[in-house]
Amino acid sequence: MAWGAPGMSIRTPAARRYIRIHLALSVIYILLVFLASWFIPDDAPPTPGVVAFALLPGMVVLGWIWNMGRLLVTMEDEYLRMLEVRKMLWATAITLSICGGWGLVELFATVPRLPVFFVFPIWCLGLAVGQLINRLTLGDGGTCA
Amino acid sequence: MNNRLRVLRAEQGWSQQDLAERLGVSRQSVNAIETGRYDPSLPLAFKIADVFGLTIEAIFLKDGGSE
Repeated sequence: MAWGAPGMSIRTPAARRYIRIHLALSVIYILLVFLASWFIPDDAPPTPGVVAFALLPGMVVLGWIWNMGRLLVTMEDEYLRMLEVRKMLWATAITLSICGGWGLVELFATVPRLPVFFVFPIWCLGLAVGQLINRLTLGDGGTCA
Repeated sequence: MNNRLRVLRAEQGWSQQDLAERLGVSRQSVNAIETGRYDPSLPLAFKIADVFGLTIEAIFLKDGGSE
């Protein structure tokens, strides 16, 4: 879920704080996914304990989303904030297009199902696309991607 | 929207970074406004006008207006 290469983006205090929290949450996420994979067998029944354990990494996803919202609220520079909002709109448009389009294909044809797990990673990839579009159309990518 | 920001900044002998620090925004913001890629909000336009001691309409011009 890394948001891009250092040196290519604009580092404001809000952006630096965002990246610190994002990296910390990423470490926790990897740890929790590793632990869940280690302790929960592939054919485990959906008991409350298993569901709760599986949802722990989901709490980190909520943390990522909260951190992004906090970035928008705390950014004082309106131009940089606009760049971030544009990236998120592109990411949302790409995610909805892929999921909506593929969902229809699943409905009418025998094709592999797209696991819901991939929705958030697709959105994060959409952020990278949004940054590229910002760079190509406005000359600046944004603060964090 | 056109603007006279680059000319006014040059008259003061300020770099984009100098003006950005006076406005409390990034250098990228100043560059985007100067090149017409971004129109500032009204509060930022007032801040820019204050920095130069001018009115907003003396800095920002309607599309088709000249410097």
